[in-house]
Amino acid sequence: MSLDVRLIDKKILEDVIELVKPHTPQYCYQCAKCTSACSTSKVLPEYKPHLIVALTRLGLIKELLNSGIIWACSECWKCAEYCPQNVAPVEVVIALKNLAIAMGYKPPEDLKVMAKNVIELGYISPPIEVLSKEFEMYSRTTLELPPLIKPYINTEAVNNLRKLFGGVL
Amino acid sequence: MSDVRVGVYICHCGKNIAGVINPAKVAEFASKLPNVVVARDYMYMCSSPGQSLIEEDIKKYNLNRVIVAACSPRMHEPTFQAVLKRAGLNPWLLQMVNIREHDTWVHEDTPDKAEEKAKELVAAAVARATHLYEITTEKAPVVKSALVIGGGIAGIRAALDLANAGIKVYLVEKRQSIGGRMAQLDKTFPTLDCSKCILTPLMVDVARHPNIEIYAYSEVVDVSGSAGDFKVKIKLKPTYVDWSKCTGCGTCVEKCPGKAPNEFDEGLGFRKAIYFEFAQAVPRRPVIDPRYCLWFTKGICRVCSKVCPVGAIDYEQKERYVELNVGAIVVAIGYEIYDMTKMVEYGYGKFKNVITGLQLERLSDADGPTKGRIVRLSDGREPKTVAIVLCAGSRDEKHVRYCCRFGCAAALKHVYYVKHAVPDAKVLVLYTDVRAFGKGFEEFYQKVRSWDDVYFIRGRPAEIFEDKDGSLIFDVYDSNTNQLINVRADLVVLESAVVPPKDWEPLRRLLKVSCDPGGFALELHPKLRPFETTADGIFLAGTIQGPKDIPDTVAHAAAAAAVAIGFLLKGYVESVPYLATVNEDLCSGCGLCVSVCPYDAITIEEKEGRRVAKVNVIRCKGCGACAATCPSGAMQQHYFTDTQILSEVSTLAGGAK
Amino acid sequence: MSKFLLFLGCTIPTKQYAYEISARNVLPRLGIELVDFPEAGCCGFPLKGINKKGWVYMSARILSIAAKKGLPILALCNGCDTSLRKIKDILKHDEVLRNEIAELLSREGIKLNFNVDVYHTIEVLHDFVGIERIKALVVRPLKGIKIASYPGCHMLRPTDIPRPEPSGEPKKFDSILSALGAEVGYYPDKGGCCGATMLPYSPKHAFKLTAIKIKNMKDFGFQATTTSCPYCMEMLDSKQDAIRAEVGDDTLSIPVFYITQLVGLAIGLKPKELGLNLNLSPVEEVLERLGVSIYE
Repeated sequence: MSLDVRLIDKKILEDVIELVKPHTPQYCYQCAKCTSACSTSKVLPEYKPHLIVALTRLGLIKELLNSGIIWACSECWKCAEYCPQNVAPVEVVIALKNLAIAMGYKPPEDLKVMAKNVIELGYISPPIEVLSKEFEMYSRTTLELPPLIKPYINTEAVNNLRKLFGGVL
Repeated sequence: MSDVRVGVYICHCGKNIAGVINPAKVAEFASKLPNVVVARDYMYMCSSPGQSLIEEDIKKYNLNRVIVAACSPRMHEPTFQAVLKRAGLNPWLLQMVNIREHDTWVHEDTPDKAEEKAKELVAAAVARATHLYEITTEKAPVVKSALVIGGGIAGIRAALDLANAGIKVYLVEKRQSIGGRMAQLDKTFPTLDCSKCILTPLMVDVARHPNIEIYAYSEVVDVSGSAGDFKVKIKLKPTYVDWSKCTGCGTCVEKCPGKAPNEFDEGLGFRKAIYFEFAQAVPRRPVIDPRYCLWFTKGICRVCSKVCPVGAIDYEQKERYVELNVGAIVVAIGYEIYDMTKMVEYGYGKFKNVITGLQLERLSDADGPTKGRIVRLSDGREPKTVAIVLCAGSRDEKHVRYCCRFGCAAALKHVYYVKHAVPDAKVLVLYTDVRAFGKGFEEFYQKVRSWDDVYFIRGRPAEIFEDKDGSLIFDVYDSNTNQLINVRADLVVLESAVVPPKDWEPLRRLLKVSCDPGGFALELHPKLRPFETTADGIFLAGTIQGPKDIPDTVAHAAAAAAVAIGFLLKGYVESVPYLATVNEDLCSGCGLCVSVCPYDAITIEEKEGRRVAKVNVIRCKGCGACAATCPSGAMQQHYFTDTQILSEVSTLAGGAK
Repeated sequence: MSKFLLFLGCTIPTKQYAYEISARNVLPRLGIELVDFPEAGCCGFPLKGINKKGWVYMSARILSIAAKKGLPILALCNGCDTSLRKIKDILKHDEVLRNEIAELLSREGIKLNFNVDVYHTIEVLHDFVGIERIKALVVRPLKGIKIASYPGCHMLRPTDIPRPEPSGEPKKFDSILSALGAEVGYYPDKGGCCGATMLPYSPKHAFKLTAIKIKNMKDFGFQATTTSCPYCMEMLDSKQDAIRAEVGDDTLSIPVFYITQLVGLAIGLKPKELGLNLNLSPVEEVLERLGVSIYE
């Protein structure tokens, strides 16, 4: 693949820089310490944080977003911790996730469900019954734990959340 | 002012000035100003005919003030001052007006306004000229001797050059022997010379030089005075051995039962409680370390004093102080390596087989703790796979921001050490960029690239873990082949970042030397004057100014010595012309000036029952802080008195007429 | 300081009940008073990828409600602890965002106030209860049991905000385990990731990542492991079957406990009081060695 220089889109990097302040993805010198550390990369070799940063700097993220691989980040934060130039690839990836959603891309189904649950229930998943060692089902009530109340008790909160996360639903 | 006679000269500066304004018109304007006797314009005022013009006018018209409106004073103030001197006038009766950098070069688009501005500036200068007066500088003699702090290769080079120029040198070294870091290295790149072999002859030269006096195991504890006349107090730490009696036979060291960690070997191996720093130490005299000596800690033993053939052991020895008077000081205290335990991810300090490049030097050195065998520290076996990590801590915002400069070359040298000691070892060089910039470096790098079983991996490891057998296991991403490589290494060598000596702050403050963001000594100008400081008479030699390899260190030290020699052989220091002066009638002795003077040049004295400020004319550098601070106006600065400045200001405020 | 708002987050009150049970039964016995905080809800950490402002809003909300109550927060979950502390840091430095969040909260009638102290289980145990106090209360030391502390990513990183373990290693965690009488030690990648956040993208890969951790622990001779994060617990404890199946290695079986469960065992509480019957990993192996039946 040869790169047509006219395709370089610097706005992507500008947007990302604004979102990840005070981190500095523009200082990356491709030492790949992040990818050496990356938890996801160990089980999914196609996922390479240093490459994601390099592509972001050129604004060439279309294929990247189409592949959806940015959702594979395990957010272990090792890359940010060890990066010598405060690039913090994990923050770049989170920024790309936000930008992708704003552009209309959809996140993995489970995350959509979490967002929906938060808006409707206040938690990322509803309370469930669990199976114990003795093969009995237990719930909060049978475990004698205090009852769960719905946190967002006023509609303004729900409105706010709907506005902020509604884009994925 | 009686009979002020001003000559005004407007330069064309070719087209630089004349291309924007009309110098003749400005001259014509100037000729009508009060006290102006003659006003001319000319093509190039600084040229020979231009200068002659001024000189002749001074004589013809009996001028006693000269205004030159031209370029910046930083260009030609000395040129025109020389003209005044030749014509028999005090050079400080000259006033330059900058109508180039401050006018025509920045106002090209508005030539009319530029011409008005030139006229206003000249009018202001003429007003000020009325208040100019003669200034003479004072000279003070310079003590023809130098103090060199630090006995590494930089201090050694500087000391030898100074001594060879006939200057008496005091070389102070805080360790027991001179030699510094070079003594710790096995070989030097790219020639692979044995480091001690090229160093020790110089160490001996220093010891034998009639003009050099070495104070080893000593430290500078106080500095006072000023350039050309420093008073320095040296503390001679107790060695507990009378070095004047000691012959350096070494029997005491041989028999000593005490055991201490070996700092020279970077913590690898042990030394005795009484010890020489290394075998070729200069001076070759032992030191007792009371922290590990059985007599000092437990009240037993004293074997050394029993076996010493000349009775040189002296457990009662106390620290001594010596006062020296020197004209110049050269700071050559070197560098330290970054504390790699701070990079938790690499396991240095936790895992035995993770070592620094300097520790590898000690292993490789035939005189070192393993007699030149490169081994795993955990079990003493030969390493079959060695990983060398470049930029460990360097170029890292979280650790050391800057490049260490010699890490890449040192790593290439370390490949040689390992392949030489263990020919069938696999060596991995884990790099980000290889900076092989010096003479002979690229050829060396080429050679190393071609060696059997040496692999250059472009990637930086993030975390290093240890397996049960002491091997190191880690992942590193290679961006050359685009794959994650799992490494199992017997030995990991960290080419660590380089930092200034961690305890040099008190010395730095004594000398009034600033530091740069990395903590290294701040040079006067990074490109043009890297071995001088803002403190007169104090020079920088070697890595204390910033990381360097040996050739650059030696060049830097020789340059510092050369400038110091020039300074000392001139024989005198001269006060700056724009000195602070005290009007004692107005001075109340409040001392505010003392508190703002960066050069400690002002003291408050008792004079006829009153307290008044007194300026040391050699220490004063004419910065003006005191004059600006003085609430009563008692403190004035020559060439920048309140009257002079205010006359300019009020003329400008009134506009050119 | 001994009174805290008990912040449970999402996973603990809806699924990982054992953590809540053991915390409620153990901490008061150590002198820590827990005040219920039911209106808190989700801290927003899992949703930061969807909308960063939304995440900041959710954590800022919790901080502001807590501030009004005037009590410090004890976050049981590593992720919640990191989330609340990160939001404090973000709001402190980003004035524009601060104003936007204040505006959103004011619509709800809440005044933005992030001046609240946030602590995590390990800190409360180590810094507020203290090692000496814990040692004094131990009646059933976990003697001879080599336990691998599993701090999890968010106890250790990122270090540009205050962390329960500021040194990058689980030193406090290991001191607590030693105080309980257990044997602690090193294993490679102790600070590694359980992979929970990868679940929405690909459970297979998440399991592969957890498998590496369990393998390291087993290789280095550990008989059990313990964590303080419900996400990590989910992976290490609940998903062991799936992990074994994914990598095809039947030896990857290890008892997994919440740290509060271990503290409870050591100070003499019964398994039922610690929710131990809800752990899906073979915890009986350890209980047997302590002479305790899981059905007690």
